[in-house]
Amino acid sequence: MTAINKAIKWIKSPTSIAPLVTFRVLFGILMLLSTIRFWIRGWITTQYVDPTFHFTFIGFDWIHPLGNVGMHLVFFFIAVSSLFIALGFCYRFAMVTFFLLFTYVELIDVTYYLNHYYFISVVSFLMIWLPAGRFFSLDVKFNPALKVTEVPRWTVGSIRLQLGLVYFFAGLAKLNSDWLLAAQPMKIWLPTKSHLPLIGSLMYEEWVAYFFSWFGAAYDLFIVFFLLIRRTRFIGYLMVLIFHIATAIFFPAIGMFPYIMMVCTLVFFSGDFHLKLIRFFNPLFSGVENRSVFFKPVYQNERLWIFGLFFLIQIVLPMRYLAYPGPLFWTEEGYRFSWRVMLMEKVGTAIFSIRDSQTGNRYEVNNSEFLTTQQEKMMSTQPDLILKYAHYLADVYVRRGIKKPQVYGEVYVTLNGRRSAPFIDSKVNLADQQLSFKHYKWILPFNINHDL
Amino acid sequence: MLLILFYISCSKKSNPADDKTTNGFDKTAMLTNYADKLIIPAYEQAQQKLTGLQTSVNAFLATPNLTNQAALKIVFKDTYLQIERISVLEFGPSRDNSLVGFINTLPANTMKKIGEKTDLAIMEENIASGNWNLVQNSAVHQQGFPALDYLFFANDALAKFTDANSTNRKKYVQDVLNRIKSLLDQTLSTWKNTYRGQFIANTQSNSGSPISYLLNQFAYEMDMLKGPRIGWPFGTQSGGIQFPELCEAYYSGLSLDLAIENMNSLKNMFTGGNSGKGIADLLAALGNTSLKDEILNQFNVVDSKLKAIPAPLSSALANNKPAIEDANKEIQLLLRLIKTDAVSKLGVQISYVDNDGD
Repeated sequence: MTAINKAIKWIKSPTSIAPLVTFRVLFGILMLLSTIRFWIRGWITTQYVDPTFHFTFIGFDWIHPLGNVGMHLVFFFIAVSSLFIALGFCYRFAMVTFFLLFTYVELIDVTYYLNHYYFISVVSFLMIWLPAGRFFSLDVKFNPALKVTEVPRWTVGSIRLQLGLVYFFAGLAKLNSDWLLAAQPMKIWLPTKSHLPLIGSLMYEEWVAYFFSWFGAAYDLFIVFFLLIRRTRFIGYLMVLIFHIATAIFFPAIGMFPYIMMVCTLVFFSGDFHLKLIRFFNPLFSGVENRSVFFKPVYQNERLWIFGLFFLIQIVLPMRYLAYPGPLFWTEEGYRFSWRVMLMEKVGTAIFSIRDSQTGNRYEVNNSEFLTTQQEKMMSTQPDLILKYAHYLADVYVRRGIKKPQVYGEVYVTLNGRRSAPFIDSKVNLADQQLSFKHYKWILPFNINHDL
Repeated sequence: MLLILFYISCSKKSNPADDKTTNGFDKTAMLTNYADKLIIPAYEQAQQKLTGLQTSVNAFLATPNLTNQAALKIVFKDTYLQIERISVLEFGPSRDNSLVGFINTLPANTMKKIGEKTDLAIMEENIASGNWNLVQNSAVHQQGFPALDYLFFANDALAKFTDANSTNRKKYVQDVLNRIKSLLDQTLSTWKNTYRGQFIANTQSNSGSPISYLLNQFAYEMDMLKGPRIGWPFGTQSGGIQFPELCEAYYSGLSLDLAIENMNSLKNMFTGGNSGKGIADLLAALGNTSLKDEILNQFNVVDSKLKAIPAPLSSALANNKPAIEDANKEIQLLLRLIKTDAVSKLGVQISYVDNDGD
């Protein structure tokens, strides 16, 4: 018990607020840029305005997009709250607004799910409870009484722990035979990078695919330890930069992810480092070395409970796949929210037909009538989305005058370069199957050795 | 080490010669082959054949009789087949001009209703009134080869070229032809002047790259064959209710010839004209020879299944159902091989949005 008490005492002990503050500023700036980028590329319209149908998350069917003007307003307020976060203006309010709006957008459609969007939701939730606005902020400028220089260790630690979990689970996920023994999907992805100058021709070499796979797995598993230990921190951060700049160049389609990680991992540096950084950007903040103002959070213990519970969920969620039968990559039951980043090459073709149970007539579905390219692509390989779409089709065909439509899917999926194989039982009426977190028995078994 | 090398290489401007691979597959050579041996010549051929068609049309319009109609049909077919060879090239300048969209809409839906009226009815009204505007998007189903097919070969076509509206009708035909010609000219000149350079310089596989365009267009054409060309008229989407008038080139009865030509030009594009520099060869170079062979073989299977359907397709729909079902099954397999297996093995990206999950 004393060990636990000691640990609790330690995580409550004071440390410099500076890492939290630079984290806040950089997070705000990055979210602002990322929102502008999303807007400029026209994705608000193509992802949230144009589609007639959205794949909602189970339990979140009540979430709907707000139309053209509404969605643009949502993104506008996301941008404004990002700016406020960076400036530290009405910090708590801006943080809550950002978290709610951003998470709302992400909940509209599963098919746009990205690990780093989930990461942003998770981190912005944490930041609501952290005193990141109480130094080097407009809030403090307007109300100096808010200013603190010392915060409990767990506040900075929570961000570090969250980052640690992301990397570590991403690393664990790479410890599978396709990745390590077959260098898949690197063997498929790298030859598409043969246009890169100088090293382009290397992309056809098999050993390079193995090198990337093994290096990637080792990086994800161990980088946090390098960052945690003071002596290896600098070299660790250099690795972070090299690794993520390389992934940004090799895989531009992953978007903001590398930049988010490069910025966020700065939080591992010491308070002194961050103070220097802040002073560099604002010479007015001289005298910050005077650590006289202490942070004494009133709800400290309650918040610790929230964080404890939160991190328990964060550890259990990525492990939940163990409760499902069959290989995770094939069934994807328990795949989301588990930091499986750039891990597999999966493509499917899904053809649905509606059978009128009264007349026996068949109606083949034209997917492009209902789904965008992205929606169709994601749906074709993920069982829960296939089922959701099948239910939607049943509704559509009821409206078109078929009393009891049966929905059948002929879905073929290829995983990590294997030949495509039937993914679901085409004789099962999907309209009759329940959406749930239980294992879907109509997913066909996967032959892992098949033709790799 | 590798990454340091990589950094140095990124700091200076890349040399085009670097794009070539020494021990891998030369994608620049492949794209050059596509541009110079397949794509640009296909447009040039189309231009040439269109000129021939215009001559035949002029002869027919001067003397609209059965003999000239029969002579016109031969040239019309020949030109239409060439149009099938450029339909798989709907990207870059062609996409920007909506070339294929305007000159050969699918389904060939002149019966499609716009509000209360079909496109066909609107076309006839326009001819009667002497007013039309082919450039506007709403007129997309009132022009191109589907319109010519109707104007030349509908049952009462000959009679209409001698009735009261015949002057307007002849003018309409000429306008449709000129519109095809101008879209074709624009597309070819953009290819030659600017797009060829961009096309061969981009050896990436991400969205918006030539390799991704090629694969996506293969997949799209397969969808077209399965849907609008055969499936929709056959009733696959309508519970068995057939729509023969949706067949491509319904009035001249060329549907099957066109579908077969489309497939074979697709196969030709897939192999790169058997030059050793096509997508098929890239697949093989990446260690997928058996998949490549299977796709090529499946092209032949589809070809023979389509040839087993007695022409015209519009009457085979009802009378030769097993042959069509047979073909559909094989088309679906080819579609899957291209859309799933080939796309995946080539690491081609289908969508434009960010993607970190797979």
